[in-house]
Amino acid sequence: MDLLPPIASIFLGLIMGYLGQRARMCFIGGMRDYYLVKDTYLIKGLFAFLVCALAGFILFQFVSPAIKTFPWFLDGGAVFAKKWAAMGVAAVPSSILPVPGDPITWSPKAGAHIILAIVGGFGLGFFSCMAGGCPFRQHIMAAEGSKSAIVYLVGFALGAIIFHRFVAPFIKAILA
Amino acid sequence: MRITAAIAGGIFGLLGAAGQAFFHVIPPPAYGICIACHMRDLVNWIAAHIFPIYGLKAGGAIVIPGGPVSYNFPLLTIIGILIGAVIAASVNKEFKWKVMRVWWQKPWAEFFLGILVMISALTFGGCPIRTALKAAYLDITASIGLIMIGVGVFVGCQVLRKLT
Repeated sequence: MDLLPPIASIFLGLIMGYLGQRARMCFIGGMRDYYLVKDTYLIKGLFAFLVCALAGFILFQFVSPAIKTFPWFLDGGAVFAKKWAAMGVAAVPSSILPVPGDPITWSPKAGAHIILAIVGGFGLGFFSCMAGGCPFRQHIMAAEGSKSAIVYLVGFALGAIIFHRFVAPFIKAILA
Repeated sequence: MRITAAIAGGIFGLLGAAGQAFFHVIPPPAYGICIACHMRDLVNWIAAHIFPIYGLKAGGAIVIPGGPVSYNFPLLTIIGILIGAVIAASVNKEFKWKVMRVWWQKPWAEFFLGILVMISALTFGGCPIRTALKAAYLDITASIGLIMIGVGVFVGCQVLRKLT
């Protein structure tokens, strides 16, 4: 068992948690503040994230073999389909939108991905806006002692189980 | 130095790319930072190992719902974020028990909002952070998802204006 990713991710999380608490970082909050009061403090974080992640991927693909699928819409699927076939998982990548990434988006149809992105994206934006922050911000607020955010995290964990038990089979049946 | 959101966002972006490049956080690509997915892995892994009935046994092997991602030892980003935020809050003396004032952010309502956020996040595979990371990885569906998040927040803001 490869324990490097879990150990590395706990340190990534530590850095993110510290910086996120100091900066009041929130992705949904950036858009919300911009719409409501035209405040650009938080949305700058979103754009900085996009630019730095893109720059990071472009730079690191020369030094690391782990980013060989970088322009994801071109040929990312084949590499990961082989890897997962070795694990005994049947995943069919599409030539347009390579699939193996998320468990329920294993449909080879590109249209299914776009429909899921539209429905899920809208729900994510709307409910996160009502809840008062993106999931990351809720973790920070829970650590700051907000009881609402702690209860939110309980629902958040329960949502994963509900999704995989009830919602994912339903979506698979619809899109099959 | 005062840490602004722009600096923090830039560092997060580099961390997300570095997590994939150097620490091999890659069952799917662009997986370096994600709140919903890493929480899903953790919850599924714990649930399937404590209650084997949850990971339906097929021929003796545990089948973890959630696909091949959840078979690995789960990523512990969530734990790290909570510890880091507790450290930051206590070092800077910002820890205080509190409850939101408005009724739709009272604890009972936040419970259902949490469930709904998680379901819609997993529907297209990512919390806002991973959606942005995938969009930076030049994934077309994630770019559509990011735009739809903007639309959802816009509608949410209209509802908030009505409520307040």
